[in-house]
Amino acid sequence: MSAPATEAALAEAIADAYAAKEPVLVQGAGTKHGMLRPVQAARSLSTRNLSGITLYAPKELVISARAGTPITEIKAALAEHGQHLTAEPPDLSDLLGVPGNQTLGGIVATNLSGPRRIVAGAMRDQILGIRAVDGTGEIFHSGGRVLKNVTGLDLCKLLSGSHGTLGIMTEITLKILPAPEQTGTLVIPGLDATAAVATLSAALGSPYGVSGAAWLPPDAAARIPELAGFNASVALMRIEEFAASVTYRTARLAQDLQPHGRAELLGDTISRSVWRSVRDVTPLTVEPGEAVWRVSVRPSAGPGILAATGLRGFLDWGGGLVWLVGDPASHPAVTAAATAAKGIWTLMHAPDSLRASADVIPPEPPVLAAIGRRVKAVMDPAGILNPGRMAAGA
Amino acid sequence: MLALPEPKADILARRDEIVAGLRAILPASGVITEPLRLKPYETDGLPAYRQIPLAVALPETTEQVAAVLKLCHSIGVRVIPRGAGTSLSGGATPLADAVVLGLMRMNRILEIDYADRCATVQAGVTNIGITQAVAGNGFFYAPDPSSQLACMIGGNVGMNSGGAHCLKYGVTANNLLGLTAVTIEGDILHLGGNHLDAAGYDWLGLITGSEGMLVVVTEVMVRILRGPEGARAMLAAFRSNEIAGQCVDAIIGSGIIPVALEFMDRPAIHACEAFAHAGYPLDAEAMLIIEVEGSVAEQDDLLDRIKRLCEPFEPLSMRVSQSPEESLAIWKGRKGAFGAVGRISPDYMCMDGTIPTSRLPEVLRRIGEMSDQYGLKVANIFHAGDGNLHPLVMFDANDPDSFHRAEAFGADILKLCVEVGGCLTGEHGVGLEKRDLMRFQFSEPELERQRRLKDAFDPAWLLNPAKVFPLQDKPRQAA
Amino acid sequence: MQTSFTAEQLRDPDIQSSNKILRTCVHCGMCTATCPTFVLLGDELDSPRGRIYLMQDMLESGRPATAEVVTHIDRCLSCLSCMTTCPSGVNYMHLIDHGRRYVEETYTRPWHERLLRNTLVRVLPSPSRMRWALTAARLAKPFRALLPGGVFGSRLRAMLDLAPTHLPPRQVVNGVHRADGTRRGRVALLAGCAQQVLAPSINAATIRLLTRLGYDVVVPPSAGCCGALTHHMGQHDPAMAAARTNIAAWSAEMAGEGLDAILINTSGCGTTVKDYGFMFRDEPEQAQAAQISALAADISQFLSRIGYAPTRDPAGLTVAYHAACSLQHGQSVTAEPKTLLRKAGFTVVEPAEGHLCCGSAGTYNLLQPEIAGRLRERKLDNIRRTTPDLIAAGNIGCLTQLAGAGLPTIHTVELLDWMAGGPRPAALPA
Repeated sequence: MSAPATEAALAEAIADAYAAKEPVLVQGAGTKHGMLRPVQAARSLSTRNLSGITLYAPKELVISARAGTPITEIKAALAEHGQHLTAEPPDLSDLLGVPGNQTLGGIVATNLSGPRRIVAGAMRDQILGIRAVDGTGEIFHSGGRVLKNVTGLDLCKLLSGSHGTLGIMTEITLKILPAPEQTGTLVIPGLDATAAVATLSAALGSPYGVSGAAWLPPDAAARIPELAGFNASVALMRIEEFAASVTYRTARLAQDLQPHGRAELLGDTISRSVWRSVRDVTPLTVEPGEAVWRVSVRPSAGPGILAATGLRGFLDWGGGLVWLVGDPASHPAVTAAATAAKGIWTLMHAPDSLRASADVIPPEPPVLAAIGRRVKAVMDPAGILNPGRMAAGA
Repeated sequence: MLALPEPKADILARRDEIVAGLRAILPASGVITEPLRLKPYETDGLPAYRQIPLAVALPETTEQVAAVLKLCHSIGVRVIPRGAGTSLSGGATPLADAVVLGLMRMNRILEIDYADRCATVQAGVTNIGITQAVAGNGFFYAPDPSSQLACMIGGNVGMNSGGAHCLKYGVTANNLLGLTAVTIEGDILHLGGNHLDAAGYDWLGLITGSEGMLVVVTEVMVRILRGPEGARAMLAAFRSNEIAGQCVDAIIGSGIIPVALEFMDRPAIHACEAFAHAGYPLDAEAMLIIEVEGSVAEQDDLLDRIKRLCEPFEPLSMRVSQSPEESLAIWKGRKGAFGAVGRISPDYMCMDGTIPTSRLPEVLRRIGEMSDQYGLKVANIFHAGDGNLHPLVMFDANDPDSFHRAEAFGADILKLCVEVGGCLTGEHGVGLEKRDLMRFQFSEPELERQRRLKDAFDPAWLLNPAKVFPLQDKPRQAA
Repeated sequence: MQTSFTAEQLRDPDIQSSNKILRTCVHCGMCTATCPTFVLLGDELDSPRGRIYLMQDMLESGRPATAEVVTHIDRCLSCLSCMTTCPSGVNYMHLIDHGRRYVEETYTRPWHERLLRNTLVRVLPSPSRMRWALTAARLAKPFRALLPGGVFGSRLRAMLDLAPTHLPPRQVVNGVHRADGTRRGRVALLAGCAQQVLAPSINAATIRLLTRLGYDVVVPPSAGCCGALTHHMGQHDPAMAAARTNIAAWSAEMAGEGLDAILINTSGCGTTVKDYGFMFRDEPEQAQAAQISALAADISQFLSRIGYAPTRDPAGLTVAYHAACSLQHGQSVTAEPKTLLRKAGFTVVEPAEGHLCCGSAGTYNLLQPEIAGRLRERKLDNIRRTTPDLIAAGNIGCLTQLAGAGLPTIHTVELLDWMAGGPRPAALPA
């Protein structure tokens, strides 16, 4: 696998592949290699050597880094100035079974966001600017390094979540925010999924700025050491603020939620650890041969997805994000349940037999698919970038 | 002066056929064709540029929009989507051979879902109309452009509008869940839904801010948020722009993100005070409006911290709003700022560049120099937290020389924004106004890439052409 | 905005004034959102910004008004909501007044339209003709169904619908009403025209309350209609004549025993009296007119100024306060009536969309019954959602427009008078 150390070298490598009309598997650290469909490619290329923070202006709330920079490096730099990555990107290496240090480019190309998504936006919402190389080896940029920018078409959004199929990002500028002083979590044990989502909905409809809202069934809760003692399902609600506000808001929220159940308060350290687990989906274990799905629906439909599929899982985003693990044969049931709820689904991980044969994301209606093909042709005319990653033949 | 493409003679010749087609789709009151009645549609919030359109169509349903687009596509007629016509960049400036597709009649709130915290509204609902519809339950729609009273959500999607509170709550793109949109061929698309994020390509993200060039948005599903317990604004007055800018840095650097952080210079303070009577400090060179949220105790705490952060900069005055009415008046001045400049000058051009916040003092100094050089006054309003700068260049439209100087002055300001690491437009869109400046921010191949993405949606360039991209040598747009 | 009047056109003082107004507009479009006709019709042409554009074109061209322009100017309620909204301070009122006058001078309306307008101009400002017409209308009500269709018929129907089934007896208020006890001052009251006939109880309550508070109240017999009704129909000369009569009458009082204020309890009239200074800017009466405009006050402004206090225990009633456009937009009087009603012990609720007109707007509900009807329903829906016991407003037009929907409609001053010792308003069920 080639791993160019400069943008120019990467562009050259792609131009070469374009000239040869040879497909290229593009990745960062490869931790999400198992997501979506397998890519059959003669060449492979990693951005991991395009590494390093290129700009960090804490008072302007921006950071730029090359695409192959490990997330851990960025987090460490931000932490020094009391700042953090707003979208709370997850580290799914345990879940997906590929250990490694994921890169900034990888998390943006997959647009994965953590529990804070519900208040702070997705990973794609934090992207202020990108530099990238298209499928012909041409370098382009979109956006910039300022917090507000609507100049021209927003290719940052187009490339976020495009899994390297429209271009290879080489440098990314993010909006960042001060990290909260303290984190507190209210736990209401023993609720079933439906009652829990009603509770989370009440919490998210409160004026206290709840920044995390999840529900774990008993078996999932048991896998988080700090929650195992409840011996029950847990509804979790997080508040991140200045210390005095965390104290005040958790107390008020607990009071408001009394009709839903008695809430217990988890302190700062435990809270941070619990939400890291939720973020990284560690409450679920994946046995060999099993599949992992991620379903996004309106929050009130979350419990119905769990019930309809009968798989192991839990709910984040107030009920709107459903993580599911189980028999790959459940794939049609998952897609049917998500579609019936007017939601979307992603096959995050599965044996290659399923990944290669089934739709891994919802197929688009014909009009949109046709537009998609034309857009792909603009960005990657020879179709050499991660072919087949998102859909067969695309 | 920006050029508009020559009208296509063959289209003008088929005017009667086009009008008859529109009349077959829409009720009589929904088709406007008499020259006199078309005139008020010749411009939008940027009245320096005008062109009377071929016809105006006012549909009431997505199906009617689809039928109108299908008709226009079949004949090859250009279409200019229009909401409230408040664009400050000429996003809705018509063309002589185009049909203006006005979505003002699509002003119904379709669904409000508090449990899932979303609302579905038609494109012609005003920005504030969404908040008003859900305010009774304590919710609000977050992006709040200054024109929120009048501007429509369809236009907000087109321009990816921001506002004073987007430092905390994000811009339009960050608050959208789904769209119903119609392609130029008349196909109806449903994008996103009442769930978060896309599994495939982020069409919602690409279309938001595409200035009506890709599709026509007819329905919008937005996130609604529960409002905070309360909010309070304070005013801090400073002796110079530089000092106020340093104070902004100190606040952001402290880890406090006020929900809004607005900067006004002396001319802006005076114009707005005349309109709002909010007690702005008329003795100051620069003023900050700082707003915090939370319970009363939390507000007190945050305002105390902010006051302590301001003190080293020797503010001339600091005043915390004592009542909701006072806060309202403070915001009334800020939100009416552009119009209020109409009190001190017959005409203005509102620039919308963004700069790295650390460059503010330098940028304001250079704008001041340009103001002397061009002999035109300027008032500056600045979303200080996010670097979005609104210099209001004052001129007299009855004096052609004054107008040309204003155009050149505005262009110089925007070039300066790009030069210091910023961009041409933070929230108003490129529109017609900044079209020819795009070369200063993008290379020709980059512009060509964006043009080809428009091709993917609208190969014949019928939807809002002549905007966003420089016209020269681009037969697709200009033909 | 850019204008292109010639130097010669600009010698006309009216054009000069309108040019100044047009130059103030920056075309930002804020006004569209709060304009009732734009909200209902969704057409730029039926928004203030669109009408400003149409009027600019009409005035610049100097050509006679056309049917298209007249349609959109006629649809304007003159509610002036746009003026409250406008950040630039565009004086839309003076511009539309000029536009209406230009229309009347240059445009020939269809015969039935002229007939109707001439009748209104003759009837409404004259209490005696008004009484006669309302009696006739009451007698005609049973034959409503026989009216023809079309615009003409629908307008006649609107008139019959608005005419009350029962007319209160005539009350004469002309003359001087002496203060009870120690005299604190002396004020003139505009007795009005249509209001005298439709609801004489309003003037009665005003006079009772003011004399009780220690004010002599003068109603000069020669004063009459303020001129607003004709003024808003573009009928310049009759409007000026009516205003001139009032200026003379009040000037005489000012020169005599003096006046502390000229009070108006119909806000539609108040807006016009406060504008006499502008209307007579090029007339010999200029100085007196300006003085009168300065002395003019809505009854609620005056009561707030002199200190109103109730003497009865609160009635325990919830009042939906309907802000008349002429009061909230025309005169920017917003807080006073609500504060007074609260002081008088009422629970005051404010319906949503309070900035939108109820459709009354002078003669609008007679001339544009379809739009007026839709605005009335929208207003009543918003009012009903506040579940009040009654509707209070400071303008007879609104009170008439909103009547007959199951909720009593009562002038603010009658409620204030009641709580300060006056009789219970007759419209209020026991």
